[in-house]
Amino acid sequence: MSIRFGLVESSVAVLPFTQPALWVALGLPCLLGVLGAWLRPQRTWPILLAGLPLAASGIVLLMIVEQHGLQRWQLEWGKLTVQLRLNGLSVLLLLLTQGLGLVAALYTPGELRHADPAQRRLERWLWPLLGILVGSLSLIWVAADLLTLYVALELMGLSAVGMLLLPGKVESLVAGIRYLLLALVGSLSYLLGVALILGHWGRLDLAGLVQVVEAGPVAWTAAALLGAGLALKAALFPLHAWLAPVHGNAWVPVSALHAALVIKASLFILLQLWSVLIPDSLFAAQLVAWLGVIAIFWGGGLAWRAVELKSLVAYSTVAQMGYLMVVFPLLLGPGIPASVQGLAWQGFWLYLVGHALAKAAMFLAAGNLILATGNTTLQGLTGASRQLPLSLLAFGVASVSLIGLPPSAGFTAKWLLLRAMVIQAQWAWVAALLLGTLLSAAYVFRVFRYSFVETAPHYAFRALPPWLDGLALGLALASLLLGLFAYGPLTLLQGSR
Amino acid sequence: MNAAWLPPLALSTSLVAAVVIFALPESAWRWRTGVNLGAALVKLTLVVLLGYRVVEGHYDTLRFPVVEGIDFVLRADALGMMFAGLSSLLWLCTTLYAIGYLENSPNRKRFFGFFSLCVGSTLGIAMAGNLFTFLIFFEMLTLSTYPLVVHRGTPKALDAGRVYLRYTLSGGTVLLLGVVLLYSLTSEHSFASEGGLETFLPDHRGLLLLIFALLVGGLAVKAAMVPLHGWLPRAMVAPAPVSALLHAVAVVKAGAFGILRVVYDVFGIELSVELGVTTVLAVAATVTILYGSLRALAQEELKPRLAFSTISQVSYIVLGVSLFGPFGTIAALTHLLHQGLMKVTLFFCAGNYAEELGIHRIDELDGAGRRMPLTSLAFTVGALGMIGLPPVAGFITKWYLGMGAIQAGMPWVIAVLVAVSMLNALYFLPILYRLWFRLGPAHGHGAWPEERRLGRLETSAWLLWPMVATALLSLGAGLFAAMPFSPLGWATAVALGEYLP
Amino acid sequence: MSATPPLFDLLLALGLVALALGCLFDRHLVRACSVFVGFALSMALAWWQLGAPWLALAEFSLGAGLTGCSLFYALGVLPPGSPLPSRRDWFREPFRQAAIRAVLALAWMGMIGAALRHSVPVMAYSPMQQPLLLAGVAMSALGLGAFALHRHLLRRLLAFNVLGSGVFLLLAGLTGTMAHAQALIITGLGVAWLGTLLGAMLIRRLYHLQGAKALISDNESIRQKRQGP
Repeated sequence: MSIRFGLVESSVAVLPFTQPALWVALGLPCLLGVLGAWLRPQRTWPILLAGLPLAASGIVLLMIVEQHGLQRWQLEWGKLTVQLRLNGLSVLLLLLTQGLGLVAALYTPGELRHADPAQRRLERWLWPLLGILVGSLSLIWVAADLLTLYVALELMGLSAVGMLLLPGKVESLVAGIRYLLLALVGSLSYLLGVALILGHWGRLDLAGLVQVVEAGPVAWTAAALLGAGLALKAALFPLHAWLAPVHGNAWVPVSALHAALVIKASLFILLQLWSVLIPDSLFAAQLVAWLGVIAIFWGGGLAWRAVELKSLVAYSTVAQMGYLMVVFPLLLGPGIPASVQGLAWQGFWLYLVGHALAKAAMFLAAGNLILATGNTTLQGLTGASRQLPLSLLAFGVASVSLIGLPPSAGFTAKWLLLRAMVIQAQWAWVAALLLGTLLSAAYVFRVFRYSFVETAPHYAFRALPPWLDGLALGLALASLLLGLFAYGPLTLLQGSR
Repeated sequence: MNAAWLPPLALSTSLVAAVVIFALPESAWRWRTGVNLGAALVKLTLVVLLGYRVVEGHYDTLRFPVVEGIDFVLRADALGMMFAGLSSLLWLCTTLYAIGYLENSPNRKRFFGFFSLCVGSTLGIAMAGNLFTFLIFFEMLTLSTYPLVVHRGTPKALDAGRVYLRYTLSGGTVLLLGVVLLYSLTSEHSFASEGGLETFLPDHRGLLLLIFALLVGGLAVKAAMVPLHGWLPRAMVAPAPVSALLHAVAVVKAGAFGILRVVYDVFGIELSVELGVTTVLAVAATVTILYGSLRALAQEELKPRLAFSTISQVSYIVLGVSLFGPFGTIAALTHLLHQGLMKVTLFFCAGNYAEELGIHRIDELDGAGRRMPLTSLAFTVGALGMIGLPPVAGFITKWYLGMGAIQAGMPWVIAVLVAVSMLNALYFLPILYRLWFRLGPAHGHGAWPEERRLGRLETSAWLLWPMVATALLSLGAGLFAAMPFSPLGWATAVALGEYLP
Repeated sequence: MSATPPLFDLLLALGLVALALGCLFDRHLVRACSVFVGFALSMALAWWQLGAPWLALAEFSLGAGLTGCSLFYALGVLPPGSPLPSRRDWFREPFRQAAIRAVLALAWMGMIGAALRHSVPVMAYSPMQQPLLLAGVAMSALGLGAFALHRHLLRRLLAFNVLGSGVFLLLAGLTGTMAHAQALIITGLGVAWLGTLLGAMLIRRLYHLQGAKALISDNESIRQKRQGP
């Protein structure tokens, strides 16, 4: 498993262009964020222009990894060493982060223009926080030692909390402080786990740890501590309660980024560390999977009963994280055939990426619907299909991927996962996956049921600029088409180089 | 010579049309109509071209990998082209009809957009080269028909939509499980590959049975086989063109077509017989046929009666599949086309009665033959065909079914056929009697429920001519069955050329 | 148990635990915060004692100075502006709920303690040799328990800070003061300060918007507000 994360000790000569591109990818977002706070862009084209070099750096890195495989760096800084690595997975996630960050930034002026002036007092801060968030997420994907991961995780967590608080409403503050406290406690748990590892094995670089870690109480305790802390940050099932209020009250691009990437980053770290610490543990992975099964139904049920559009989307995140949790026993555990692990590995990341795109699209579309109707509840959507076809279409295409209907990324990923489960004869997980699909269809179609009502009184809908819908639709289509054209990304993921 | 671009081009006509229609404003009636008709014509041309190339022996195939070991395959083969030809021909007719039917009603943009998507998915189903691709378009069809079912936006329509989704999405999930099981047993298995599953028979008999049950179970929901038929009568709240398309072509036929594919192209007919599943299929189809006919008899409104008749008629296809032997196969394939033509005609007629005269109930039809002679003539042709009277297309199917039953050694099927024909006559003949022989408002007795004068002729030309065309086609398919490119001729070629030992 | 631990360490450990108790369970909030500053100063002393002067400096400036300032800012003491009316936490929850939460937290901490004892040989053989490590365990247990027990936001912030200090001490005890450990701890201190600052600003803002009631519970106020109209 750890090889799949690119955690191997090798001395690869670093190619020219690689390092500058990496620095641009990591540093430029923060720089642009500061610039954004200073200039406060009101239009989209400057943002697009500023995002171009960032995207270029991502593409350069992609090409380098495609041609030369895994890249590793070791940076000395005093007595500290920082380890970075870049493999197919990190590059994919990096590109995803840059793309979603750019879309969120593009969406922001539109959101702010229509926001309540009382909530715009702190809007200046959104830009640097967004920059730090994108930068720290990028760092998480490439970091290969526990110290760097910790720093990046904290930067990400704090900037995420800050962004969520910006509207300044009471609800968002209450939700935000709860999230803040829990995230801080979560990182202390993480730190304690790191302390155990450092105390026992005396090193923090993951590639080195792979060599020295042996199963035993230390590894188990450390894995439990790290797991608990990260599960709290990733809103995995029993620790998910903070998620929905946070998403429900933040600005739309912020909720989109948070649901799409921030919680997934914690899951990424969790899986990576467990693959180092407890690659052969049966019990931990099974526990996570059973919690995942509960999450699928619990989250789905909550989403089914949700009154507000945004909380429906947020609860569906809880359920969707459940699918990812269910995959754990196929990735970690003794004696899993390589073919099954390969299928599960591809399915896991494809699902994660597809869900990130779809969930971001869904939040943007939901935000558009709320902006246009001025009503945050599902009931407020009655008759929206006539007035807001484009927003609803974006929501619909995103939900196709979310439910996992073909030809979306969600479907292809589910296909891979189902095959892995069938080969391993894990029928309980198969049932959970399939029933969960039906449940998610049930709650998503509630939205459409309201929107198709023709007999309702006609509300006055606000007209939105079409590019707001265009952004949502673009993301949704990306998630849809990723399912059909998954071959390229999947070979990149699988590449063992 | 493989023209890989041809299948996606044919597919993209309706998809592009859908996108363009969504992008056009609601008020752009002319543009929308132009795009609709243009796309329908281009698509029909392309499908005919593809069919011609199939006759010449070129099976145009587009193939690219989606996941390691699983390809997305669009392939033009004889069976697929049969279904594709039917759907594109009827798309043209239904589009014309729908333009007239929905004149001045709201949400036309949404309607035609999803209508095009729906037909695009049907074409995808027809050209799918393996089960994975089939599944993609099968689910796309489910999704794109939902907005059409709930189009009216009334509580009844919304409930119907919910029931529809419940049935079809559950069916899709079962199908997905079956396909995944099949793939994990065999890895890549396209419709074109020769045999293959027989090798698993000794070791995995139970698994094969399970896979067959899952696949056919999932497909049977769309094919509206009893007891999975509950969504279809309710979906009747949709506008008439949707009923026509859903019930004659797209959804139920997609299910039946899927069963054809599974039995002939995935399992192979010999293996199906060997597994003993054909007998089960035959019994299930018989039950559905009888049940549908009996329920149709009990309906007092026109559209629900037609709906239950559809449930009954589509299972003829399944019955034909389950009769091992050339005649059964030919009957199944032919009925796929014939039933489509006749049922579309009947629904067009029902729509015309509702639009022009406001008639929904059967007892309101008294004397309508005088007021709307062409519509009533078309209805008569369709109804007689359904009963299975000679010159009309339906007769061919029943004849071949009967021969197939004898060939397959299931003579009880003939008894069923006779009984069903009686039932068909029982529920269609009274309608014809009312149309032509009872005195009604046209003779000065009472009044029509809601009469509108939509056109110079008996009704609007948009509504009239597509119906006349499909009625003539149903008649022609029966009369000229012996011609080389008639439905029967094509079906015979397919059956003899591809599926029989 | 032949070797006796250094007396100063022992005293320091006892003092730390006592101060932690004081700042966690004093209902008078200004006093609790003052005790916290004292606690942070003793932490700085502990770092010095462990041979990590940089950490001591960081703890002094970040922990005692900036975090203390943030807490007083939250209380409305520091810039003598609009003070919070009640500086005592009078809120009492139904005993059973609070007890269940605290017991769960302590059980979690107990499990970790047991695992630590299992995994760190020093702890198993001569626990009294490492008084600061023990203090770390006690402090993190207390901090987590208090974090689960309290509903007042400021007290939860305090609990988090004590929990953090306990974890840092544990970390230092487990790993010594190698460069990586120091880097981790300094990052942690920075994060704790930033988190406290953010929390303090939030508390002020919430008080400004909602009054004292908003500070007490997590989400009950929202829930009541929703149900009200």
